[in-house]
Amino acid sequence: MTGPRILQNFSGGTVHLVAADPRAADALASTLVKFGVDLRVVPLVDGKAALDLAALREDRDVLVVDGDLDLPLDLAGGAGETFPVVPVIGLIGVEAPSRLKALMQIGATAFLRKPIHGAAVYSALFMGINGFLRRRYLETRLEDHERRRRGRRFVIKAIVNLMHRAGIDDDQAYAILRRESMRRRVSIEDYCTTLLRAGTGDDAGPEQVPAARRSAQHE
Amino acid sequence: MTPATFRIGLLFSSTGPYAVVARSMLNGALLAVDEFNAASGGPRLEAVVVNPGGELSRYSELSADLLQSGIRHVVGCYTSSSRKEVIPVFEKHDALLWYPSHYEGFETSGNVVYTGAAPNQHILPLIEHMTTLAGNRVYCVGSNYIWAWENNRIMREAITARGGQVVAERYLPVGETDVTKSVEEILALRPDFIFNTLIGNSAYQFLRALRLACAARGLDQPAVLPVASCSLSEPELEEIGPEAVDGHFSSSVYFATVESSANRRFLDAYAAAYPNGPTLSADAEASYVAVAILGRALEAAGTDAIEPVRAVVPQIALEAPQGPVRIDPATMHAYLTPRIGRSTRDGRFDVVMAASAPIAPDPYLVQSTPRFAVAPKPSHLRLVQ
Repeated sequence: MTGPRILQNFSGGTVHLVAADPRAADALASTLVKFGVDLRVVPLVDGKAALDLAALREDRDVLVVDGDLDLPLDLAGGAGETFPVVPVIGLIGVEAPSRLKALMQIGATAFLRKPIHGAAVYSALFMGINGFLRRRYLETRLEDHERRRRGRRFVIKAIVNLMHRAGIDDDQAYAILRRESMRRRVSIEDYCTTLLRAGTGDDAGPEQVPAARRSAQHE
Repeated sequence: MTPATFRIGLLFSSTGPYAVVARSMLNGALLAVDEFNAASGGPRLEAVVVNPGGELSRYSELSADLLQSGIRHVVGCYTSSSRKEVIPVFEKHDALLWYPSHYEGFETSGNVVYTGAAPNQHILPLIEHMTTLAGNRVYCVGSNYIWAWENNRIMREAITARGGQVVAERYLPVGETDVTKSVEEILALRPDFIFNTLIGNSAYQFLRALRLACAARGLDQPAVLPVASCSLSEPELEEIGPEAVDGHFSSSVYFATVESSANRRFLDAYAAAYPNGPTLSADAEASYVAVAILGRALEAAGTDAIEPVRAVVPQIALEAPQGPVRIDPATMHAYLTPRIGRSTRDGRFDVVMAASAPIAPDPYLVQSTPRFAVAPKPSHLRLVQ
């Protein structure tokens, strides 16, 4: 597995700061300018961030959230595992488990201690953004694997159908289905699912079966 | 009221493994102190010189001693590792380190003013020059530490973006002088050019061995396998020796051969003050620039407290030996003029390329590198059955 590409140049990005202490903004602003990154201080209204999470740009925005605030983000999943669509960097003041857990629950992938030290910001951005990209990549892969796992029973059905119809063994049937799926540039699970859904019972099968069968018999 | 004298620290390893360059840096700094004192009708500078002897642990000890004695500004350090070592001390005492050497970038400390070249002012112009001149297949060889690692990363990014190739990336321990394997590999791979980030004796031995191996095969090394570097300076050319000194490319914001009246004055003053050398280097000029700007800033601020000094520093425009120099307030790095030099038999550099004006520092390369790191080259293999 190669993983996602490493993002190293943050120029053109925006950090949205959700914090009560204005000193955090001063410390961040003087450092972010060196990276070509803008800072936007998100107003707090009754302790909640006045921020449209849905409007954040997935590939350019980063949230920096003060862990000492009480659930400042309005996430749809409440206290569950629903993360914002952008990387989150946690600001740590009180290092208590409840505060750290709250940052974990909003998907923080890097941390900065308060007061913010300029020399730590590049590392936090680098780790936070790339940790987020890696997590999202793994989530996508996991989702893909889950979908394929659900399709495995169609592969088994298609193999059995083909074995009966073409009079070949399971290895030969699998090889034919795999080759056909690759030719069509889809996964074998998707191919078999489509095949079975499109066909009617034993009639379903790849067009090339006779040729494949002849080939198998000559081996 | 402005004090009559400002004490400043000068922190250079005038003995130890990189003493040749560090001594030229100390000389450059002391020359600027003398010139400032001679020209100033106001405050004087009093330099307190300390020598860590190239030992990392001594850097922080001596820095702490200087700052505890009441000094607020220290010009010094040559290697990145020594700078990294002392920065926490300067942050703790809220003092300013004036770092006068080219370096690999990717650093931000509010307690440092950088007067040497940032990577966009040395390695990027070198890549541009060498790919145009020689081609885009490069062999990288360096000393195994941050200077080489980071420069090679930047080289790989830029070469790949040009459709070129890093044919090999090899590291030797700092101080290693057995370079045989690399030389043999270069002769086998025949890159368009060699990017050399070896330092000190390793670099000198490598250049000698490569020249010798090429000569044995009837190859004109500078023409066939040119070597390019971002650190090779005049004092080092003397160390290489006459057989292998010429034809090497170096990217630097200053060479002693720069044509300007400010540089002629600088050369004459340096030669008069230090007739026994060592020869001037880019880092010596950066040290001279650091003290010259520091002196003017102290005079303008009327105090050595670092906030007022930091505030006036960007307003100072210096006509330096390399040309106009000023400090960018956002990064506290300097606007400098990139140049490419080619070494000659008499141990100097012919300036073969120069930017027309100083360019802004970009220590994080936000203006010049791709957003995403270069991905490993994809395999050309594909499934056929």
